[in-house]
Amino acid sequence: MILLDRVTKSYGRDGKPALNRISLHVEPKEFVIIVGTSGAGKSTLLKLLTREEKPTSGKIVVGGIDYDQLKDKHIPLLRRKIGVVFQDFKLLPQRTVYENIAFALEIAGMTNREIKNTVPKVIELVGLTGKEKHFPHQLSGGERQRVAIARAIVRQPKILIADEPTGNLDPKHSWDIVRLLEKINKYGTTVLLTTHNVEIVNKLKRRVITLDHGKITSDQAQGSYRQGK
Amino acid sequence: MGKNAGPKALLQGRTKRRRWLTFIRMCRYGINNFSRNAWLTVAATAVMTITLLIMFMTLAARQVLVDTVDAIKDKLEMSIYVATDTPDEQAAVIKKALEKLPSVKSVTYISPEEARADFAEKSKNDMQTLDALNEATNKLPGSFRIKIVDINDPSELNHFVQTNETYKQNADPDRPPSFQGDRRTAIETIGKWVEFAERGGLVASVIFIIISALIVFNTIRMAIFNRKEEIQMMKLIGADRSFIRGPFVVEATMYGFIAALIATALGVGALYALQDRLDDWVTISHTVELATMYIGFILLAMILTGAAIGVISSLLATRKYLKI
Repeated sequence: MILLDRVTKSYGRDGKPALNRISLHVEPKEFVIIVGTSGAGKSTLLKLLTREEKPTSGKIVVGGIDYDQLKDKHIPLLRRKIGVVFQDFKLLPQRTVYENIAFALEIAGMTNREIKNTVPKVIELVGLTGKEKHFPHQLSGGERQRVAIARAIVRQPKILIADEPTGNLDPKHSWDIVRLLEKINKYGTTVLLTTHNVEIVNKLKRRVITLDHGKITSDQAQGSYRQGK
Repeated sequence: MGKNAGPKALLQGRTKRRRWLTFIRMCRYGINNFSRNAWLTVAATAVMTITLLIMFMTLAARQVLVDTVDAIKDKLEMSIYVATDTPDEQAAVIKKALEKLPSVKSVTYISPEEARADFAEKSKNDMQTLDALNEATNKLPGSFRIKIVDINDPSELNHFVQTNETYKQNADPDRPPSFQGDRRTAIETIGKWVEFAERGGLVASVIFIIISALIVFNTIRMAIFNRKEEIQMMKLIGADRSFIRGPFVVEATMYGFIAALIATALGVGALYALQDRLDDWVTISHTVELATMYIGFILLAMILTGAAIGVISSLLATRKYLKI
């Protein structure tokens, strides 16, 4: 599903690489947690996958798409195949819960009928039934992240990238979000989760990839994480 | 992982492009943004209104200036004088010859008798002057009052007074033509001021319009800058550039449309309100007539200008944030 082959990403001419010749293979339907301290390269890795950044060298293939062959005009199409959830939610503040989720379908050119059929089901899946007409500022942090997840999965992507989705949430809401991600993974979506939360990493018992100074320092099938590592 | 596909794999799963649906959605989002960002809408529309109003008033002021200058030009006459005893037939010959000159717009002949009657009429309350006028023989000259096309260029008229034999035979030796000597300097000064006012008015109009457009551009740029994260998010979930830009363009067009309606109403209203107060000073009535006659055209031009400024500003302002 995701393949990185000796990928390096450097910023500036003589800058230290944010990612240094990393190779990685993620199977379909896997749930992978990426951990590492600030500056370890987690965000750079995710930016390469969403094509916000181009690698300095190396090969990236996601969902069968070779990024080397990708032109700028194809990037929006690629991004529609990948769901992304951010720590700061990145919702449209002037649009309701329903409109935020529907937006992801509207940009893909789906008809109004298709949207009307799909959105309520996803709202139900993330547990926000009854809050369709609320604006983001009327929701709690956990609810906002649920909207972001609903928006990310409404197009049924094969891959869901969650960049520190629990970073702004209290423990209860963090676990709600993690359980939701597990549920989505169970339905067949490959999930890539970056987090600092030791408790979540250790309790989930999933594959854990540890990044440090731009290199993969460990890759464990049922890994754990110790803070400061 | 199997055989890797190229970008064609992305296009295969792509929903058939529904341009019309996308257009409707962009418009709807633009209208939603317009109605939901109340303060931004009020601020941007106000700035756009002021801009269009400045443009309208600048052009109206220029029209008033041109009309006033025309009126001044029209009042400014060149005069040549003939002796009191010039026969009417000779005066008619001179008048005809003057009218044939290409630089002459019109010629009026005031005979010595008419000049005396005119003087008497003007002095009817001054008994002493009237008595003196009745007792004295008429020494007033006959005069030709001439309007010329370009008040700065009386050369043809000058040539006429030096070469026309009939005039030279009858010329009043005590009164040189008004475009010679000291009086010529005065006419030239007026002519230069008129020319300066015309050119200055045009330059000021262009400068005002450019400054106004830059103010609106900056306002829209700031508004879009405030929403750059929104644009970033749209990009990351796969929105096309046109889909991201569309609502901003629609929104800015709406600012322009509403601002045009308000600015036209305020501008035309101001012209009507100022007409009575300014009529003694400048020629404003023609501008008011034009504004009334072409109100539909003015409104359309204002809407198109407002929309064009909005569209161009929003396209330029969003371009910066739409790089992949």
